[in-house]
Amino acid sequence: MTTLEVRNLVKHFHGTEQSAVNDISFELSSGEILALVGPSGCGKTTTLRIIAGLERPDFGIVCLNDRVVASESIFVPPEQRGVGMVFQDHALFPHLTVSENIAFGLRRQSATQVKQTVGEMLHLVGLLPLAKRYPHALSGGERQRVALARALAPRPVLVLMDEPFSSLDADLRMEMREHVRQILKSMQATVVFVTHDQDEALFMGDRLAVLQKGQLEQIGTPEEIFHESDTRFVAEFMGDSDFLKGRVLQTGIQTEIGLLKQIIDLPVSTEVEIALRADDIDFQRDGSGNSVIIERFFRGAFNLYRLRLDSGQILHAFTDHTRILPVGTRVRAFISAEHPLTIFSE
Amino acid sequence: MAAGLVALFVAVPLAYIFIRALGAEPEAWQRLIQTRIWRLLGNTLVLVIAVTGGALLCGVSMAWFTERTDLPGRKIFRWLLAMPLAIPAYIGGIVHLALLRPRGGYIPQVLESIFGQPVFTPSPLGFWGATFILTLFTYPYVYLLSAAAFRSLHASLEEAARTFGRTPFQTLFQVTLPALRPGLAAGALLVALDILAEYGTVALLRYETFSSAIFVQLSGRYDRSAASVLSGILVTLAILILWSELRLQGQAQFTQVESNWRPAPPTILGKWRLPAFLLVAGLVSASLLVPVFVLAAWSIQAFLDPQTLATVFRTGSQGFGSYLWNSLWSSGLAALMAVMLSLSVALFSVRYPNRISRFISRLCQVGYAIPGVVIALSLVLLVNRLLPFLYATPFVVVIAYVLRHMPQAVRASESALNQLSPSLEEAARTLGRTSLQTLMQVTFPLILPGLLAGGSLVFLTSLKELPATLLLRPAGFDTLAVRVWMWAEEGFYTQAAPAALILVLASALPLYFLLRREQIFK
Repeated sequence: MTTLEVRNLVKHFHGTEQSAVNDISFELSSGEILALVGPSGCGKTTTLRIIAGLERPDFGIVCLNDRVVASESIFVPPEQRGVGMVFQDHALFPHLTVSENIAFGLRRQSATQVKQTVGEMLHLVGLLPLAKRYPHALSGGERQRVALARALAPRPVLVLMDEPFSSLDADLRMEMREHVRQILKSMQATVVFVTHDQDEALFMGDRLAVLQKGQLEQIGTPEEIFHESDTRFVAEFMGDSDFLKGRVLQTGIQTEIGLLKQIIDLPVSTEVEIALRADDIDFQRDGSGNSVIIERFFRGAFNLYRLRLDSGQILHAFTDHTRILPVGTRVRAFISAEHPLTIFSE
Repeated sequence: MAAGLVALFVAVPLAYIFIRALGAEPEAWQRLIQTRIWRLLGNTLVLVIAVTGGALLCGVSMAWFTERTDLPGRKIFRWLLAMPLAIPAYIGGIVHLALLRPRGGYIPQVLESIFGQPVFTPSPLGFWGATFILTLFTYPYVYLLSAAAFRSLHASLEEAARTFGRTPFQTLFQVTLPALRPGLAAGALLVALDILAEYGTVALLRYETFSSAIFVQLSGRYDRSAASVLSGILVTLAILILWSELRLQGQAQFTQVESNWRPAPPTILGKWRLPAFLLVAGLVSASLLVPVFVLAAWSIQAFLDPQTLATVFRTGSQGFGSYLWNSLWSSGLAALMAVMLSLSVALFSVRYPNRISRFISRLCQVGYAIPGVVIALSLVLLVNRLLPFLYATPFVVVIAYVLRHMPQAVRASESALNQLSPSLEEAARTLGRTSLQTLMQVTFPLILPGLLAGGSLVFLTSLKELPATLLLRPAGFDTLAVRVWMWAEEGFYTQAAPAALILVLASALPLYFLLRREQIFK
């Protein structure tokens, strides 16, 4: 069942040349988590705010459970949309306790019902002992969980999350990701999740929508986005790809570091670019090899090498953490990937 | 819509003054230009410059002593240095005049009885006296702003200067003070506007400025066209100062303390500890302790003398209680009205920032530039013509307070709203509240402390307002400020003292509440 439908959304702000959101369309089924990901200023937050009713679209339609809530002639105000939102700065009401914050959205219910729901939510996010505290007396992670509980308490048709982890430090962010995803799934919530962090998007989303300059670049499962990028931007943004030039042959693609045996449906001798990630490349020490190690970054579990090919092209390669070669060593780099690689023609 | 009406309410009296000034007969202009304008302009500007300079010197040096040195008793001095704001300058003037008057002052008398012949003492009358008194009671503006600036400055800024080879002394003048400049300029301009509007002190010390000349024209000779001309010039002067103040206002945001802030180590005074202590203590005595002590002593004297006591509690048909009550309700009502009006302006300018809303917010600040005498003149003329039923009622006085002091309320409301993240209101909307419910349940409770602060400021300054009250009050409507002034003018100091003391205490209370919100008192 389709919970959210967004069609041809356009939003332009005064005093800017480019549209913040430019013709974005997607659908979301019940119980699904969609991660909207892209660099800052790509329009992901504006899209979210249009869905919430905090901004009016210039053009396009937003439907919630088959009810049009925004179009050129209709605008349903946010309080009548029944969506829950988790804000970047959490936006907890500082004059209300944790319980009162969570109860804020529970209306037209008896006091006992409210109390029960608040109790359930507090239990769900593991904050029962802190019910009577005020937001200023909570840690970052606790505030985050209160904000989530507050948004979920009225059982919204749709939950919107705007970079909810960005104010937390790195360790806590990893921990909260798992915890929050588990809570969302246990509530079977339908969620639009905005982030600029590709790891977070891959982790949180059942599907990902990659945005750039107000436009939707690609939408699909994490695996599709990662391995079958539609555009060079997606490949670059979602996995720090390097792009290696090549020429199509009948047997595969000829590159500077050897023949890639991947048959491609393009005329022979077309110039193409192959998206290569650090785990697609390997190398061996070879005095007459095709490249030189210019830098090594120790990452704990592995080493990340930066190689310069004789043409000047830079490639990155992961190796075992025990394999250490000095900078300046001449090596022979080759493509080690055993899965099909993403190829872009010029 | 509401904001627009508020702007109109503010703009009409101001525009009216200019219309009257330009519409005055050419004769009035000519007479004034030939005789008085240049002298008044000179007098006023010299006083403004002298007092602003004095206030800067006192304010910044005191702020440096309490914030950046190991001065003994810093914590208490912070309070004592800010508290003179509760004493209207004319009351301080009355006390110092009684002490230092060349003939009959307490100190000259005592000296004469000791030495057996008159001893020269500086006179508090005239230019130097006015400069001295006004500096004593306006430096706290500069002190508060520069202390906050000193406090929030990053230690690393000065440390960086030191690593580039500057001595501590060079650092102070090349790095620290320049970094404080916007805050200092804002404080200085506040003082300058205050001096332009000052009536009581300069009249008391017989120094003629625009404000006092307008007052005389209005109350004595009742020459309205001359008063209009003088007012037009005075307001032009004030608007020029206000305009530069508003330009600096945006840059003067120094009071926020960042999370990685740490205090710079205090300068060790060493052998200068005692002289520094005496200097600070001397200023505190002259501006706070002596006035309060003398007022208290006079009050006791008044209570011990049955005849004076009878006059204090019963003059004509009115008693002491009614002055107090008049003061409290008129200032309280003005504070309430100013806050309510300012809230609509602030909501408009903060939540819908555009050219119109910015213009309205700026327009509401012009009250700063309209001295009490000018507001009085404008209201006398306007009310007479447009709202005759209000004429000679206390409400005209309240309207004058609101017009004059609304800028403080507007600034307080705007800063309270600015500190409120819009996402809180958006969160309330997504949780099912309409915009009106959001205003009442989220916005209003959260900005209430800021609104109260703005209200206290309006209350405090209305309580002290003298010229507008004197000129606009209906017969028999006496406030504490009016009573103190009238008694003191006739030389009945002991009789005036209890009312003055109550006025100071009534101002100290809202001031205490306001100061507790400041970073340096936390």
